[in-house]
Amino acid sequence: MSFDFALIVDSIPKMLMGIGLTFQLLFLSAALGLALAIILLLMRISGRWYLAAPTMVYIYIFRGTPILVQIFIIYYGLPQLEFVRDSIFWPILREPFGCAIVALTLNTGAYVSEILRGGVLGVDRGLKEAGAALGLSATHRFIYITSPIAIRLCLPAYSNDVISLMKSTALASTITLLDMMGIARTIVAETYAPYEIFISVMVIYLVLTWFIQRSFGWIEKRMSRHVKSEA
Amino acid sequence: MEAVTGWWDDFFWGSLVVVELFVVALFLTILFGLIGAAAKLSKSRVAHSIASAYTIVFRGTPEILVLLLFYFGSAVTLTAIAQVIDPEIKFVDIPPFWAGSLAIALIVGSYATETFRGAFLGVDPGQVEAARALGVSNLQTFIYVRIPAMWRLALPPFGNHMLSLIKDTALIAIIGLEETLFVAEQAIGTTGKPFTMYIVVGAIYLGFSTIITLSVMVLERYANRHLEIAR
Repeated sequence: MSFDFALIVDSIPKMLMGIGLTFQLLFLSAALGLALAIILLLMRISGRWYLAAPTMVYIYIFRGTPILVQIFIIYYGLPQLEFVRDSIFWPILREPFGCAIVALTLNTGAYVSEILRGGVLGVDRGLKEAGAALGLSATHRFIYITSPIAIRLCLPAYSNDVISLMKSTALASTITLLDMMGIARTIVAETYAPYEIFISVMVIYLVLTWFIQRSFGWIEKRMSRHVKSEA
Repeated sequence: MEAVTGWWDDFFWGSLVVVELFVVALFLTILFGLIGAAAKLSKSRVAHSIASAYTIVFRGTPEILVLLLFYFGSAVTLTAIAQVIDPEIKFVDIPPFWAGSLAIALIVGSYATETFRGAFLGVDPGQVEAARALGVSNLQTFIYVRIPAMWRLALPPFGNHMLSLIKDTALIAIIGLEETLFVAEQAIGTTGKPFTMYIVVGAIYLGFSTIITLSVMVLERYANRHLEIAR
């Protein structure tokens, strides 16, 4: 057995062709997932049981089942149902790309909304009371007091979730999409050189993880520039 | 739901494989986590950098990639070794069960490393000093003072690691282990009802997640039983 370096040099450009798709999956589902998470959060903290209860069920289901099963239900499962095929969403759900986006969005939305909730709950009560004493309405308090602090509090956890979302995009290769992972699997199937190919694509993913971590570290530092460090 | 009727026993055996996988992987996860934490806390610089490399690599790459690398990588290596002995042999692999449980245990073990490390650091040094002052041996201090105190801190995040572990078992169907997702694929082949079958798989996993969540709650209460009055 030997380590074929020529093969690595040959296949890295091919795998990098899939990085665009990986990025599309990551950014689209991160943005949509964040929007979904904010809606879920607002429903959850609204104090009305008929809004909060469905959110809790949703979060429970999507955090309690494997993302792979969710992807399979959406991609292979939904076409079984007639009303899905007749609905306006069919053009999206017909394509593997649309299905991957839908699955990743629904999944990450559940996780992120819990992270955001943690941030909101972590905001000091006294600050909100001070806002109320100054005559700010509940909406204004939420926008000007709770949100900025909550965002700062949940950034570290959120960066971890973006990383796990990035890792989940690799599962799109199981529904025929040719992202980096999909291309790597195709090359391995052709050449049968798992070490060379998988380790190179591993390095690419590690660089992406590092990059996400650094970007969030920078944002975190910038957002807490007004906060005196406790140390 | 009638379509599932003939498949309940297959799903049952599939679930049993998931449980076996979970138990084996959980044991290995704790083992890797403890070794990793010990290495990170040790004074040896070599051990520390090996453990750091381990956590960076396994936390930063997609689970499916680690799994495929393990399975196909070991198959290539074993086949090469076997062909030296007997050139007639075409293909040798590690059984998917072992390749899979090792891969997911290494992944979740890298998260557990950080959890255990943090928990060991969180143990009140005064308690350890008190034990030493009482003439308790190092080993006994470790077993009776450090472990119970650390366990209390590590349980909540470790509960989440157990949930990741059970969800990651679904991935092992990709390398052909006959667990629930694999059963569902076979059932779909004969019944043509993908939605129904994958929903059954989702429900099974949701059941497992619920059991784990409840067990962690009970364990947490047990671990904190001496602190009940203080709260």
